[in-house]
Amino acid sequence: MGGYGDVKLLRDDGKRLDGRAIDEMRPVTIEAGILPAADGSAMVTHGLNVAVAAVYGPMEAHPRKIQRQDRAVIDVRYNMAPFSTGDRIRPGFNRRSREISKVTAEALESVVLVERYPRSKIRVEIEILAAEAGTRCAGITAASVALADAGIPMRDMIVGVASGKIEDTVVLDLDKAEDNYGQADLPVGLLPNTGEIAFLQMDGDLSIDEYNLAMEYNFKAASEIHEVMVDALKRRYEGGEA
Amino acid sequence: MVELVPSLLRQELNRLAEDGQRIDGRGQFDGRDVHLEVDCLYNAEGSAKVVWGDTIIYAGVKFEIRTPWPDRPTQGSLMCGAELRPVAHRKYEPGPPSPDSIELGRVVDRGIRESGCIDMDKLCIVPGEKVWGVMIDIHVLSDGGNIFDAAGLAAIAALRTAVVPAERFDVGEDYTLNVNGTPIMASFKRAGGRFVYDPSEEEELGGDERIHITLGDEGHLHSLQKGLKGVFTPDEFAEILAVAEQKCSELRKMVAEKEGN
Repeated sequence: MGGYGDVKLLRDDGKRLDGRAIDEMRPVTIEAGILPAADGSAMVTHGLNVAVAAVYGPMEAHPRKIQRQDRAVIDVRYNMAPFSTGDRIRPGFNRRSREISKVTAEALESVVLVERYPRSKIRVEIEILAAEAGTRCAGITAASVALADAGIPMRDMIVGVASGKIEDTVVLDLDKAEDNYGQADLPVGLLPNTGEIAFLQMDGDLSIDEYNLAMEYNFKAASEIHEVMVDALKRRYEGGEA
Repeated sequence: MVELVPSLLRQELNRLAEDGQRIDGRGQFDGRDVHLEVDCLYNAEGSAKVVWGDTIIYAGVKFEIRTPWPDRPTQGSLMCGAELRPVAHRKYEPGPPSPDSIELGRVVDRGIRESGCIDMDKLCIVPGEKVWGVMIDIHVLSDGGNIFDAAGLAAIAALRTAVVPAERFDVGEDYTLNVNGTPIMASFKRAGGRFVYDPSEEEELGGDERIHITLGDEGHLHSLQKGLKGVFTPDEFAEILAVAEQKCSELRKMVAEKEGN
């Protein structure tokens, strides 16, 4: 996390700088099936973040050494577009995007019924077009909807959501300023249907009580986002389309 | 890709061409529907989204302050790059930029640069010390054929709506980038033995050479590129050039309309 305590992030009326209550999420919109070339796709806007996910496969896994005899491998690439941030990002992988890609793949492997597709590969491409704190979560949400859009069976869709701490107060869904100057960030991938956790990262400083409250906020927000995800898929497939 | 599919497709394209038809029912020089959206990305200083048939491309403009080259102390710089990332099609592999994506970026770059629509001297902040570097990044999200024209359109539309972020860099007030002209690309592909405008994915797979023509506002040529195996005659070029003139002026009007909004 960035600097501590020197930037005011809560207003005198207890609201946050953008007017949200402490347990209020930024608006989320989701559209499924937006990329004609992909087998499944989705676009998620979460506040000012824009994440697009495409799914290709299941397809032959190559090079052969990545094949698993009993299951599919999930190959995730999280990438930020050069124009997605304040300063341009040089194209290509960096340590951050490699780590996010790895843990996102592992989260998705825990919900996709990978044993149905032995020796194959499922490619998940996450592209961030606008980044304003919370892109890995928006990416996970987009990837889940894209996998469902591709017709790949899963135990549940993972919802990406984060809570954190600013001015010693636990808040839901940090925005850019809160992420830069706050005290903690807890991004998670949750399964609303089973109450399980598939993705977990955290940095900063949280007491156990603060962690529990942040997680409570996260689960509440996840079921709200889950409804938006289901809605997007219904819009895509209702009326006999596709 | 197994060679069998293109060879069957090639036969089919030849058969259709005999009756003057195309695989998706278009006429020889008909384009697909094009939708352009500008100013659509929050963190980019200029941005555009182009939906061209099944092709979807974003372009974003970013600025940086850099030291000018010693031999051109008052000139800023322009760079246009393209990424054919694996998100766009199952045929694209991860890894360093492929020759195809480098070609795409450079052909679009030449069309914009050589049209002279950006005055490099106007990008000077302090001669010999500080100039603006303008970077256009083309991001292909879905390749449904003819990514060149869609990329060229997205790039110029993003550039023409860009705002120089002078305040963020502490060098004055933000201002709209001055762009004098709207270079537009028109691309043709030999499919079924003759050139067609705006090739679809199938025509790209089962066709031969392609030709990209970028025209400026006055109808002058600013960039030409012939790609892939094949040869063509001067007469064939004259024919598609006439088509390009018409297509480019239609698209130029579309850009002007979007800017007006």
